[in-house]
Amino acid sequence: MLLHRRIYQFLIIYAIGLACLLLIKYGLGLSDYVIPGPVDIWHTGTEEFERYFFDVLNTLAVAVAGQVISIFIALLVGVAGRQATWFGSFIKVAAYNVQAYPIVAIAPIIFILLGDGLLTRLLIAAMICYFPVLLSVIGIMAEPVVDIEHFYRVTGRMRWQLEVKIRAFENLNKLTTVIAGSATLAMAGTIVAEFIAANAGIGYSIRVALYQSNLAKILVALFLIGITLSVYQGVLELSGVIIRRAWTGK
Amino acid sequence: MLATETKSPKILRLVVVALAVLIGLGCGRKEKAGDTITYRLKWLFNTSVVGDLYADVHQFFSDEGLTVDIKEGGPERDALRELELGRAQFGVASADQVIRALSKGADVVVIAQFFQVNPLQWIYRPDKIKINSLSDLKGQVLGVTFGGNDETILRTLLAKGGLSADDVTLYSVRQDYTPFFQKKVNFWPVYRNTQAVFLGEKLRGSGDNFAFFNPVDYGVRFVANSLVTSGEMIKNNPETVRKFTVALLRGWKAAMDPVNANHAVETLRRYDKDSSVETLQKELAITRSLVQPDAAIPIGFIDTAAWKQTEQIMVTQGLVPTSVHVEKALREILQQ
Repeated sequence: MLLHRRIYQFLIIYAIGLACLLLIKYGLGLSDYVIPGPVDIWHTGTEEFERYFFDVLNTLAVAVAGQVISIFIALLVGVAGRQATWFGSFIKVAAYNVQAYPIVAIAPIIFILLGDGLLTRLLIAAMICYFPVLLSVIGIMAEPVVDIEHFYRVTGRMRWQLEVKIRAFENLNKLTTVIAGSATLAMAGTIVAEFIAANAGIGYSIRVALYQSNLAKILVALFLIGITLSVYQGVLELSGVIIRRAWTGK
Repeated sequence: MLATETKSPKILRLVVVALAVLIGLGCGRKEKAGDTITYRLKWLFNTSVVGDLYADVHQFFSDEGLTVDIKEGGPERDALRELELGRAQFGVASADQVIRALSKGADVVVIAQFFQVNPLQWIYRPDKIKINSLSDLKGQVLGVTFGGNDETILRTLLAKGGLSADDVTLYSVRQDYTPFFQKKVNFWPVYRNTQAVFLGEKLRGSGDNFAFFNPVDYGVRFVANSLVTSGEMIKNNPETVRKFTVALLRGWKAAMDPVNANHAVETLRRYDKDSSVETLQKELAITRSLVQPDAAIPIGFIDTAAWKQTEQIMVTQGLVPTSVHVEKALREILQQ
């Protein structure tokens, strides 16, 4: 149901966006060079669908891997930085500063070190999507669940692992939402990486289409990115529901 | 129920109004007498636009009674789209852009051609690749910007040499030259009058030999940057078009005159503070040889044969579906 809703909601948004573009095109009498007509978009779609579909899958695979890495790093930093100690504060400052650097400035350095292959895409995707996850994890982990934690503290049974588990469990809804939301950023990060430093994926194809001034190709690419992302987010939300049910029995 | 029914048309109206405002804000005014003219370049301010900058700095536009705002271009900016949207009245576009736009029904007219020789060439290491004929490219790793002009030119050259893409390894190029410096790729596309000067200095510094591969030497004359405007602009404001072209070509003539070399470099230094005077002097000298390789050819001359060849290449490679008869969109204003 979640998956189904995600897809039709995306289709509505895409259709509205496209309708607005066409309205502008015909309202101002613009040529197909500025905004392609429906026939042009349809032809481009049929010609490029297969190639772009596999490009998007390629991008998605890297985005998923990047997201997993970023969640892992964010959890690690979030757990380490949850305490108001000097080390906790140091970790947070380091994590925040890395995020402050614009990725387009760092990308050439990454490109020189790692080349224009998979690792570059993976690293940039992870760098772009880890920060919001980190903020949420720090927010969740720094907030004590007083009612429950008090019991373990007074009985002297509190350990850091237990503290992390309690806080994660009590905020499972928030965590699921953030992780599903970070999928968008992972995908966007991978596309940016492909655009500036890769030879594969849909970001690279968009770059080529941009060189060719072909907006129809870009619209087709955007459609495929959107629909794929909707499916992926739907799957993540569904997984969240399943995990919550397994943990809580509800 | 009633509340929902009245809400929907309100939202719809709001969307329509928002769209109308968006369109109104997004699209510029049409040019009127006394208005500022916007001139959108194809790329950033560098030696390739020295004539444009010279005309501006030395008040050639003012002399014609025009106020001109020269705007930098870039990969995401397209002068042809801006012409149609009314955000610019003149622009610089490459021949492939013009031909693509014509094939999609755009109302674009070429009024002057800045480069008689395309500055897009390849730098290569002659000790690694010996090129006496196009067939010598067989088996080599060749740098190319996929989707860019250089891809179209290179594929044409390969076809002329009886080679296919399978006979060579095409390496995807971006702004970073590391693969060329590391000698992973020894054949790299460059703009001969800008990037090549900087690259050449670096290679000389490290004792590397280098040479240039010019497609013109193998019969491929793919047209580069030209001055464009819309057919509507020519029809409604012919005098503005004439004055603008006069001022601009006067700027190019002055900038290309060796007597004015120092003034031209000073002009460039206003916009490009990162390049040294020596580098700019070298860039200017090379630009001169590309803009006016033959003194008998006037600056701004539109090489119709080269345009037709460019169109033919694009049709052959399937970049445009059919001929657009590009010669109909070429109009040398000052010779009319």
